[in-house]
Amino acid sequence: MRAARKGYAWLCALLWLLGKPPGAVFVAICARQGDSSCRFLSVSDLFDRVIQHSDRLHSLSTALYLDLEKNFLPNGNELGKWTGKCHTSRMLTPNGKEYVQKIPREELTQLILRLLQAWKEPLSHFDQNIGHHQELSSDSLSKAKQISNMVHELKTGMEKVTEKMQSMGIISNSLNGMGSSEAAGLSISNEANVMSDYEFIHCFRRDSNKVQSYLKILKCRIWPGNSC
Amino acid sequence: MKQNLASSVRFILLLFLNIECLNEQSPPGKPEVLKCRSPEMETFTCWWKPGSDSGLPTNYTLLYNKEGKEQIYECPDYRTAGPNSCYFDKKHTNLWTSYNISVKATNEAGSNISNPHYVDVTSIVQPDPPVNLSLQVIQSAGILYLWAKWSPPPLVDVRSGWLILHYELRLKSEEREEWETIFVGQQAHYKTFKLHPGLKYVVQVHCMLDHGEWSEWSSESYIQIPNGQPPGRPELLRCRSPEKETFTCWWKPGSDGGLPTNYTLFYSKEGDKSINECPDYRTAGPNSCYFGKKHTSLWAIYNITIKATNKMGSNISEPQYVDVTYIVQPDPPVNLSLEVKKQVDGKPYLLLKWYPPPLADVKSGWLTLEYKLRLKPEEGDEWEIIFVGQQTQYKLFSLNPGKKYIAQVHCKPDHGEWSEWSSESYIQIPSDIELKDVLVWIFVAVLSSVICLIIIWTVALKGFSMVACILPPVPGPKIKGLDTHLLETGRSDEFLSALGCQDFPPTSDCEDLLVEFLEVDDSEDQQLMPSHEKGHPSKNMKSTHKETDSDSGRGSCDSPFLLSERSRDPRILPSAFQTPDISEISENNARKNSCEIQSTDLKGKIPYFSIGGTKLSTWPEAQLPNNQTPKCSYHNITDVCKIALGTMNVTVTSILGGNEENQQSQYSKSTETISEEKLHKQGEVESLHSKADQDRMQLLPNEKSPFLSAKLMDYVEIHKVNQDGALAVLPKQKENNGKTENCTVPGTSKEYAKVSRVVDNSILVIIPVSRVQTTPMFQEPPKESVQNLQQSQTEKSMSYCFTTPSERKIDTGGLDYLDPTSFMCSFN
Repeated sequence: MRAARKGYAWLCALLWLLGKPPGAVFVAICARQGDSSCRFLSVSDLFDRVIQHSDRLHSLSTALYLDLEKNFLPNGNELGKWTGKCHTSRMLTPNGKEYVQKIPREELTQLILRLLQAWKEPLSHFDQNIGHHQELSSDSLSKAKQISNMVHELKTGMEKVTEKMQSMGIISNSLNGMGSSEAAGLSISNEANVMSDYEFIHCFRRDSNKVQSYLKILKCRIWPGNSC
Repeated sequence: MKQNLASSVRFILLLFLNIECLNEQSPPGKPEVLKCRSPEMETFTCWWKPGSDSGLPTNYTLLYNKEGKEQIYECPDYRTAGPNSCYFDKKHTNLWTSYNISVKATNEAGSNISNPHYVDVTSIVQPDPPVNLSLQVIQSAGILYLWAKWSPPPLVDVRSGWLILHYELRLKSEEREEWETIFVGQQAHYKTFKLHPGLKYVVQVHCMLDHGEWSEWSSESYIQIPNGQPPGRPELLRCRSPEKETFTCWWKPGSDGGLPTNYTLFYSKEGDKSINECPDYRTAGPNSCYFGKKHTSLWAIYNITIKATNKMGSNISEPQYVDVTYIVQPDPPVNLSLEVKKQVDGKPYLLLKWYPPPLADVKSGWLTLEYKLRLKPEEGDEWEIIFVGQQTQYKLFSLNPGKKYIAQVHCKPDHGEWSEWSSESYIQIPSDIELKDVLVWIFVAVLSSVICLIIIWTVALKGFSMVACILPPVPGPKIKGLDTHLLETGRSDEFLSALGCQDFPPTSDCEDLLVEFLEVDDSEDQQLMPSHEKGHPSKNMKSTHKETDSDSGRGSCDSPFLLSERSRDPRILPSAFQTPDISEISENNARKNSCEIQSTDLKGKIPYFSIGGTKLSTWPEAQLPNNQTPKCSYHNITDVCKIALGTMNVTVTSILGGNEENQQSQYSKSTETISEEKLHKQGEVESLHSKADQDRMQLLPNEKSPFLSAKLMDYVEIHKVNQDGALAVLPKQKENNGKTENCTVPGTSKEYAKVSRVVDNSILVIIPVSRVQTTPMFQEPPKESVQNLQQSQTEKSMSYCFTTPSERKIDTGGLDYLDPTSFMCSFN
């Protein structure tokens, strides 16, 4: 729970940060209002926070995945029973470092956003429905809720950072509109309903890992040498 | 039975008669019934052996009768069972009945009949051997065994349960002789496990009914035991990706069945139905499969199986499912370096640095590594584990100096396993600097103590010669009565013996002090300078001891210098201090002071002596011969001083105080009282001393007088000599005199005038005795010295070895010296 609270704190900070009007290269962060020791965060620092957020998201999804595995598939090594159909499987995503590195920054950014978008709807749906599992602990349920919220926040945060990067000319403005990905997300969400909860979380865990990896690669490509 | 027997006997007799009577040619030999056997207890067969053949064709007939019946039958079937046999089929076979069987051989010459053979069918049962023995090698669950199967003999009706068969099986490997026989029981099959692969085995079976005999062994069956077997099931051990770009899987082979076995790895990727074989068996070593970048997909599940194949068969492992994202375990970090550095404040700290594993691509952000350090002292058991985070260096401040540390580091990607620990790195933490200092100090202390020991040793060994080298010449020669020749030429022993003072042991105190003064004595400049130097500390240091020291020792002997310095120094001597000083001095420092006095005495004497000789250059020469003597004389002196100095010190200090008072009139009153007190005390002391003196003098009459006189002489003479001598002999001394002039009491100037005269007369003779008492302190000694000098002049030959007359003079001198009135007068 402490970790969860911490996560919320992060969220709040991030939201607060990202909620500021865009355009400024640096964002002021103050520990308390009226605190004179305000400092400025660069976009790369913001990006770091997005990465940390995705890291946290992945950890949460892993925890929930293990919870579900313990509850529904107690025999272990259950990957074999896995049908291998995530609703995001249709999206073409790079599955190796070199492929990721070959993709232009803009596309990678868009890919991340699309992945997040694809999970927004299904996760909120999942969060609403997972309650019917009596055997799941309240801890697992809260994890599900947290994940649903975090994906939402992460997407918002990523969009803000993207805007900033675009305004700074770090990436070009040639991103496609979100409409297509949203449409994809909607069509996919029907498939998501067919999956079992276990499969669903397995898929999400995988995609959150993708997002995290893409973010890291993207960050190190834009700001090389900065803790890379 | 009887009838039977009778009839058979008759029958035989008839036959005999026939043979003998009818045929002259030889009849056939006697046949013999060999055996009767029933294979299945339903029929039976009897065989006979023909007798000797007489050459004629012979006919054999088997005749039998059954038990209880007299009727004789002939064999029903000669053919079925072959020649010389008779087969009784089911019809003619009765169980539980005895058969009497005989065989009759007949030819033209006659006939012969065998002995009767009695048979019961139930007891002659012997089945045929089992048939259709088949062998098979079977492997199940990795175990190899031989499966033998056969059928019961066809004639025996086993199914109806009429008969029960028991079997026995025997087998051996082909090249062996002995059979291994195994009782099988009623079943017609058998498993045997004790087989050696690669050998050929022979197997046989036989059987037996409940009663009866074992059948013949069945025909031999052969079987070749195969040499190998199908492989065991392999097992996929684990898969690992060192950098999230490639991965490797390892498996454990099962048993190979003794045959060369091939392993193949098959995998299928999630969402891809095709099954592929491992792309690279070599790179990662035996029993492993390496998936290069081409074949590695993240976020896809691999289904991996391993198939083992050999001649005997194949075996497939359980499928394993692998997601490369979660099998990342990096290599350990490399180049862990340890370095001891110093902080600004000098405290050491340990700086640990390392590099991420070379394979891991940290720069692109593909892999984020976190590090953990562990370290411990070399002899320690418990590791201290430090989580470092993403840095590749760490500063460790809490160190035990002087210990050797072992450090290791490992790393973990964000979603993966910790790597192995890196190879051990060692570092010796230097011991504390403070400890070093202590060591240095210990070293210095040891060194210095060694040096001290050496010095002491040399002094102890060569004390005499060293002292002789360093010490100033003995003042003796100044006395006229002294035998200068003896001093110059004679050895110290002789000289001392002449003085009569060998018995006094040397004391280190005096020697040391003497050494100081030796420097002084070398030249007049030096003589003066050290006295100044000594004078300074005595004044600057406020401690009463020093003051009194200088007062008692120097003051008495070197008074002019001391006085001059004191007078120059505007320092105020608090009255309170002075009185205790004196008492202390007289009581405690008597001995020390005495030594100084002695030394000063020497000073005084030397110049005196030199003057006597009229040459300064003669000094050193004079010293050399005297060198040997000093000890004795000094020691003598010390004792003398002890007695005399107590008084001396007091007087001198009082005088000094007086001088200062004179110069600094403000304090005159207080000092007067002090001086009075002093004088009183002095008087007491003096009286005591004088008593002691007398006692002593009784004991050592010779010694005192000259020395006392010498002291007094010094005291005065130095002045005189300095002043007068400067005029006459040593011009350098004038400077000193100049200094002293300031402080000299007006009374002394008169003295000098008198003295100068004396000097003109070449030293010794001059001083008038009467004035001394009236003159201030400084002038007192001269009087005595003069007396002594006079004595010495008179007693040239006697020199330091004093005669009784000297006593008196000493006494008087002491008295003069101590006379308080004279002081009072002078100061007032």
